[in-house]
Amino acid sequence: MDPGIRSLVESRLEADDSANHAWSGLVLAALGGREVLEAELSGGSAAPRAVAARTAPVLVGAFLKDVLVEGFRGIGPQQTLSLRPGPGLTLVVGRNGSGKSSFAEGLEVLLTGDSLRWKERAAVWREGWRNLHHPAASLGATFLVEGARGPCVVSRRWDEGAEFETAAATAALDGAPASDLGALGWTAALRTHRPFLSYNELGSLLDEGPSKLYDALSSILGLEDLVEALAALQEARRTREKALKEATDAREGLVARLREVDDERARRVVAAASGKEWDLDAVEAALGGFAGTAGGPAEGDVLRGIASLEPPDAARVGEAAAEMRAAAAAVESARATSAARSRDAAALVESALEYHAAHGDSDCPVCGRKGALDAAWSKKQREAVAKLRAAAQEADAVHQRADAARHAWESLVPLKPEALTRAAEVGLDLGPLVGALATWVEAGGIADLGALADHLERASAPLRDAIEKLRDTARAELGRREDAWRPLAVEVAAWLKAARDAVRGAAELKHLKSAESWFKKAAAGIRDDRFAPIAEKAAAIWERLRQQSHVELGRIQLTGEGTRRRVSLDVTVDGVEGAALGVMSQGELHSLALSLFVPRATLAESPFRFIVIDDPVQSMDPSRVEGLARVLEGASADRQVVVFTHDDRLPEAVRRLDIAAEIVEVTRRDASVVELRRALDPVGRYLEDALAVAGTADLPSSAAARVVPGLCRLGLEATCMEVVRRRRLGRGEPYAEVERTLGEASGLLPLAALALFDDAARTREVLPRVEREAGAPLAQALKQCEEATPEVKPAAALELVRQSSKLAAWLRGLA
Amino acid sequence: MTGPADPRPLLELADGLLRRAEPATAGLWPRASALLALQALEAGVARLWQRHALDFHGCSMRTQLICLRSYLEDAPLAARASHTWSALSRACHHHAYELAPTSTELEDWFAVVGELVRKVEPA
Repeated sequence: MDPGIRSLVESRLEADDSANHAWSGLVLAALGGREVLEAELSGGSAAPRAVAARTAPVLVGAFLKDVLVEGFRGIGPQQTLSLRPGPGLTLVVGRNGSGKSSFAEGLEVLLTGDSLRWKERAAVWREGWRNLHHPAASLGATFLVEGARGPCVVSRRWDEGAEFETAAATAALDGAPASDLGALGWTAALRTHRPFLSYNELGSLLDEGPSKLYDALSSILGLEDLVEALAALQEARRTREKALKEATDAREGLVARLREVDDERARRVVAAASGKEWDLDAVEAALGGFAGTAGGPAEGDVLRGIASLEPPDAARVGEAAAEMRAAAAAVESARATSAARSRDAAALVESALEYHAAHGDSDCPVCGRKGALDAAWSKKQREAVAKLRAAAQEADAVHQRADAARHAWESLVPLKPEALTRAAEVGLDLGPLVGALATWVEAGGIADLGALADHLERASAPLRDAIEKLRDTARAELGRREDAWRPLAVEVAAWLKAARDAVRGAAELKHLKSAESWFKKAAAGIRDDRFAPIAEKAAAIWERLRQQSHVELGRIQLTGEGTRRRVSLDVTVDGVEGAALGVMSQGELHSLALSLFVPRATLAESPFRFIVIDDPVQSMDPSRVEGLARVLEGASADRQVVVFTHDDRLPEAVRRLDIAAEIVEVTRRDASVVELRRALDPVGRYLEDALAVAGTADLPSSAAARVVPGLCRLGLEATCMEVVRRRRLGRGEPYAEVERTLGEASGLLPLAALALFDDAARTREVLPRVEREAGAPLAQALKQCEEATPEVKPAAALELVRQSSKLAAWLRGLA
Repeated sequence: MTGPADPRPLLELADGLLRRAEPATAGLWPRASALLALQALEAGVARLWQRHALDFHGCSMRTQLICLRSYLEDAPLAARASHTWSALSRACHHHAYELAPTSTELEDWFAVVGELVRKVEPA
């Protein structure tokens, strides 16, 4: 996760006043990846996604020092293209077939292992990579990189007869043992900030379609995190929408099947799942058989209650009747015993004692004897009652037994009134049971135990039959319903789970959609912000290249996402808007591609400080060549721009426009012997001009005095800069610092001091050292060039140019 | 010694050829107008030398154009003038297989010549 991206998103959330929306958390979670987003949705937290290992380039600020090619394409024996490391423009000029493009291709193959110009072509094209005249094949390049004390050498070599793909590239930094090319960390940058562009590519950049162009441009913006976050939000939304749709679709069929079943649970599920809002708790209750709704026990419970009814057990009825009869006999036999009499007497005396306790001493209310009831009597009678009670206990037990036996019938038939009262609802006929029960309960009105026992024995059989019949009917009904329900219950249970997820997801969908739509806008905004400077640069380059073209280029934008991503180019032809690319000539298309490519390849984030352009002039209108030269000059202000061209219009324009450039000519003899010749460089350029002026016979003397020393000074300054750049870049100093140092050393002497002593302040020592080491005439020339208004006669002008050239050569030898 | 020609009418003539289609000049106008513009450019440079009382008579145009950078006080314009001069003279001479310049190219070059003329002799 690029922390910059997160803070961009956060500040946009705040700017939109959206930070407090419920969904803003989702936006931030999505930046952490899918797992973090899902965790946020389920209210938990997950460890933020492991930071994707972004392979940052190990080596940055790379300038090209040379390119070595041997036995590759048009080049036979090994040839080295030496370049001035550091910002500046180099034109490599040669006729078609001179082998110049082989350097450009060689460098691309060396670094990327392939060449884009072969990709779309037939195999025979690729197979022709080897030079026919030279069996050994190898590629190499030397780079000066910031922070490295020595050069970085990359090479790739093939044994005789080896396949193209077999050669692995190695990189050796600072004279250290060679390692894999990947160690430089350039792999990603070679794609995103691709520093090569060929004629073929210029054409195909726009031919391949708007999405390809989008990819080529958007990859430099470093917005992959935004794309991934948006994908996470979209996937979260789609998963939930899919779940909801599936649950809704599944409900249709399920409800239809449930309707066919005569089951109260099925009806409840149908009722709960039919509305717009599903009552999933009710579904779950129905599934579990719980009484979840008002209206008493569920039908299933009624049926189960009846199915579990127990008929009166014949043996127990018999036992109960026997006990009744036995108890009745015991009461009968106990009636005549003393125990019975004692019991009755005790009751009588207890009544008298209560009478005495209530009314005090008195005559006997029964026999009338005077003063019979007194304290002494009471005391005596209490003792008598205790004795009588003990004697009566036996009789009490007999009576209690009789009582117990009488009530035993009530527990013989455990009925379930709550189930039975609703039996009709579940389709059961209670008629026979009611009749049998009515007879049975007549038992309550029979006082005589013997008669009761007879009644029970008589009435129990029909009751048993009725209950058994009812119970079996209920059981059968229950079984039938369960058979129909069970498979449906499984379905309902499965659906319930899916529906719960779907309903939960549906609640999250609203937030997810808000988050997604906000995020889309924010991502497009961030993308536009990042792309704006590139688009501006591209527009500026186009403005230079288009010259008088009728095609005006307005805003360049990256729009859309996913499969609809494209680069929208606001093209206006003769004031008519919305024109398609189709109206542009091939040359214009190439110019447009170049306009887009140069800003991409020269972004500060690129580890490469060089760009290699192969044949940009082809099919370009002559008037555009001047613009191209200016564009290349602009790019070479802080980049090393190497341009291969077969067309002499570009070098011509560079010469005429006074653009500081080095021109290397490539020629090819028989048998692929390629030769390089430095045709011109900025130093030679100034001195050549100075020579041309000084050598003009009829030159006005004041013009000579004014022009020649100035040109010589420019030549010498360029020489000093070249010397300083090569030295400082060579020891790994960042180019920006080198350029700053050079910019601060304004004037010939400070620059010479930098070149001689690596210290711009030591200007006083410059002339003595030049005189000492290079001779007095050279020191004299330096002095003349340095003076503000030198007096130079036409005759002396020629001499000044000659000495200046010698001085330039001597200075170059210092580096 | 007569002074250098006035560059303005020359440039106007060139511009006229470019803008008006006439049967008499059909097919000829690109090179003809380039020739007039080239003369205007050289006349403009000569006017500059006249102002500085410099006698470049007999000096090659290359030398003059190099010196122009020092005297014009506008190095980019001097460079563009130099480039335009070479483009115009290339268009004026017949090169086998080389096509005549297009109207847009000529317009471009005339603009540079006009700028130079105005710089040398502000109206």
